[in-house]
Amino acid sequence: MRSRGSVLFWQLFILIVLLASWEWLTGIKAISKTPGLYWIDPFFISRPSIIARRFAYLLSDKVRLNLWQMTLSTVQSTLWGFVVGVSTGFLAGLVLGRNDRLARIFEPFIVAFNSLPRIALVPLITMIFGFGLVAKIVLAWTIVFFIVFFNTFQGARSVEADLIHSARFLGASERQIMRTVIVPSALAWTFASLTPSISFALIGVVVGEFLGGESGGGLGYLIIQSLGTLNAADMMVALLTLGLIGIVMAFGIKQVERRLLRWRPEYRKSA
Amino acid sequence: MIGGLVAPSVGSIAIDGRPVEGVPPNVGYVFQRDTVFPWRTVRRNIALGLEYRGVRGPEQQRRVAAAISMAGLDGFEDAFPATLSGGMRQRVSLVRTLVVEPEILLMDEPFGALDLHTKLELHAELLRLWGEKRQTVVFITHDLSEAITLADRIIVMTRRPGRIKMIYDVKLTRPRDVIRLREADEYLRAYGEIWHVLGEEFAREKAP
Repeated sequence: MRSRGSVLFWQLFILIVLLASWEWLTGIKAISKTPGLYWIDPFFISRPSIIARRFAYLLSDKVRLNLWQMTLSTVQSTLWGFVVGVSTGFLAGLVLGRNDRLARIFEPFIVAFNSLPRIALVPLITMIFGFGLVAKIVLAWTIVFFIVFFNTFQGARSVEADLIHSARFLGASERQIMRTVIVPSALAWTFASLTPSISFALIGVVVGEFLGGESGGGLGYLIIQSLGTLNAADMMVALLTLGLIGIVMAFGIKQVERRLLRWRPEYRKSA
Repeated sequence: MIGGLVAPSVGSIAIDGRPVEGVPPNVGYVFQRDTVFPWRTVRRNIALGLEYRGVRGPEQQRRVAAAISMAGLDGFEDAFPATLSGGMRQRVSLVRTLVVEPEILLMDEPFGALDLHTKLELHAELLRLWGEKRQTVVFITHDLSEAITLADRIIVMTRRPGRIKMIYDVKLTRPRDVIRLREADEYLRAYGEIWHVLGEEFAREKAP
């Protein structure tokens, strides 16, 4: 396809121009021959060539905690937070979505907890769960849960009454209606919340790692450590890796979504 | 009320002498809008009723396959409803209801949203299917031709409050031909007579 090829070309072109000008601009000295003074100081934003070197170095075994281990730790906590958050959020959304009484009772609690800035919980969570994996998962969970909950809740409420009636006329029990009508119908809404959920899980985990210290490991730890040593290159390495993780995870979710929601017209062509 | 979705404000409803409480097991309902489940393929939509009743395996497959060919949906078994036309979806709704062989079939303007051609096709099909099983069908419609084509007995209701205005027994013989029937004398007579009553009702509505 011509158009796709040209889009890819321009994307690559822009990327190369950006990287090249980054490399070039941070190399111009402000006053010739005086070391350490630049128009744009690589001390703050580093340089692509330095970042690439640090990247390779951090990946190697020369460091105590290498980039692989940190990435693994971050990904692991994110996925756990995501899975726990999605499953509990989905269940709670279904139950409250189909039970008006319970929904009315719990509404103020949920709204109150949700309007709490989650970052403010980090110290408390750390106090309770320590610095390890669990604290990071809990933090991710507190965010993901609500995103998925509100979507599923909405989805469970907006199931068409006619579909439920017709299932009942076909002889469905309440449980069968739940399984064959309400769950699939609500799933479409839940899926809409998964992509933001994974990003927020990642946010939760990284913030947890800021505070978590070495025992928590992870890329957030690398960022904070780099702040301590004023090392912009390492920070860039961590940010780059986080970006990659985010993209890969979002892509994975899109694939699952495409498969499970293949009945929807907008997915039909690509399926 | 027959379906047990709404309770009568006065009196009671009984099917074969048993009072209706909740949705009765032997009643099928075809809704005005097609109610196929968009996330299930045609085959699995039609299998729903059997699934709910615990009919599984080869027995389920056999009955679903029979229903699919009965509805003329061969080749569309694995299609999702979003890819079907309105007429085909309503056909899925209809056979999905019929596959569990209800004794009473309630139909609430099921063909209201379809074009005349599709409607006639479905009329013919409904007449043919009814000819095999002869269930009781309660069919609500605003289309007088449709009523005469399908019914043995037409009950004309008034506007709000809904009261019975007229009961008309259609004397057309069966099996009926949905096209030719419209030229029959009885069709024209029934049409004229009921139309007159509807006109009265309309005039009464307009007058203060």
